[in-house]
Amino acid sequence: MSDPAQSGFDAIRLASADNVATVLRPVACGDTLRLRGAKDARLVASQDIPLCHKIALTALAAGDRVVKYGQTIGEATAAIRVGDHVHVHNMRSLRAARHGG
Amino acid sequence: MGGEFLGYHRADGRIGVRNHLLVLSVGGLTAPTARRIGAALQGAVTICLPYSAGLLGEDERVRRDAVVGFAAHPNVGAALMVGDNPAFMRDAAQAVAATGKPYAALTLDDCGHDALTLTDRGLREGARLAIEVSRARRAPAPVSALSIGLECGRSDPSSGLVANPLLGLVTDRLVAAGGTAMIGETLEWLGAEHLLEKRARTPEAATKIRDAVIRREKLAIAYGVDLTGSNPSPTNVASGLSSIEEKSLGNIAKSGASPIEGLVAYGERPGRPGLWTMDASAYAPKSVTGFVIAGAQIVLFTTGVGNSYVSALAPTLKLSANPETCAALGQQLDFDASAAFRGETGMEESGAALFSRMIEIASGLSTCGEVLKEGDETVSRFVAAL
Repeated sequence: MSDPAQSGFDAIRLASADNVATVLRPVACGDTLRLRGAKDARLVASQDIPLCHKIALTALAAGDRVVKYGQTIGEATAAIRVGDHVHVHNMRSLRAARHGG
Repeated sequence: MGGEFLGYHRADGRIGVRNHLLVLSVGGLTAPTARRIGAALQGAVTICLPYSAGLLGEDERVRRDAVVGFAAHPNVGAALMVGDNPAFMRDAAQAVAATGKPYAALTLDDCGHDALTLTDRGLREGARLAIEVSRARRAPAPVSALSIGLECGRSDPSSGLVANPLLGLVTDRLVAAGGTAMIGETLEWLGAEHLLEKRARTPEAATKIRDAVIRREKLAIAYGVDLTGSNPSPTNVASGLSSIEEKSLGNIAKSGASPIEGLVAYGERPGRPGLWTMDASAYAPKSVTGFVIAGAQIVLFTTGVGNSYVSALAPTLKLSANPETCAALGQQLDFDASAAFRGETGMEESGAALFSRMIEIASGLSTCGEVLKEGDETVSRFVAAL
């Protein structure tokens, strides 16, 4: 099993298919993040992001699947830019939801 | 390494990791009496079931399984049961007697419906049992005798990232050694059930797991519950979990990679060792109690932002990987996994350390929850009652 965090990394991508990463420290807008799980990856946060919250690795349109652990964890409900905070304000569950799915 | 622990060998062959005198109120009417007796006796653990009359179907089954599961639990050296229903008590007492465990069973009916007489007789019987309990000594036992419950509460993304995968490593090692592990919280398989199904030992087990998840999902839909804000809870959401799928994928990491033997009902004891799913509430107190009724001697409980709930009968090893939580609540955690979160120690190394801590606790090391007397048991209710 790979170690999820290592000294020197600011965020982790858990599977190659993921389009979000988890930040390993509180992040400020404009911070350049070293991303574990993607070779030599650098990423600039476009918003403040609290510890353990998600950051977008690719741009997403409303309706696009959000992928973490290599699995679908929901869909985007708004346009999301690379580096944006991804959470309940711009994504939602696809299960047991009255909006269908 | 970690092949043995020091436990209490019971007459029925099961091994306890604690040697409690249990004072058990079988119904709500005798709860104050049970609390009086429990408070008066050295080392007593008191559990009170809040209800008894009018239960139907699954609730009647669970009530009986809970009473016998607690009283005959391997962590219990002797049990004093008090209640208000002689027929039920006779049946429960027979089941406890069959395990060879020292016990006493008293009802209000035996005491002229006088709670003070029941207190007096219960205290005398309890004192006798307490001395009996004190005869037991620990002796080496194989880790294959251990059954553990896997729990998470007030989770955050660090749970799915580090703390739950550490439980997965412990689970795989225990199961490989011939032990038993149980993962519950059915709703928190939603969105990850396909991964559990793939690991099921048989197609029937896979179908049972899928059906159990869909049943919970339909329940949420039928009641018009939007899971976001319910499960994940507001606390989960504030800490970064955005959907039930995300929470579930982190949750099932507790079960490691071992094959899944099957699905048991709430509180049902697995018929053989290995990794089992339990169809149960996602509310931690009820979930933990389900594991204890089913015979878990130890609970491994991860938390993201902090959760103080522990079992009364099964020492509950609390851990977190969130560095902020470990700094703030370190004294109330039995294992600090933040070094693994920060990458200062590897996952395999941390998993081995966690396994060793579990064995230490099995052999007598106190947990934070035990020394603070946090323990409780909370039995699920399922259907309407008369």
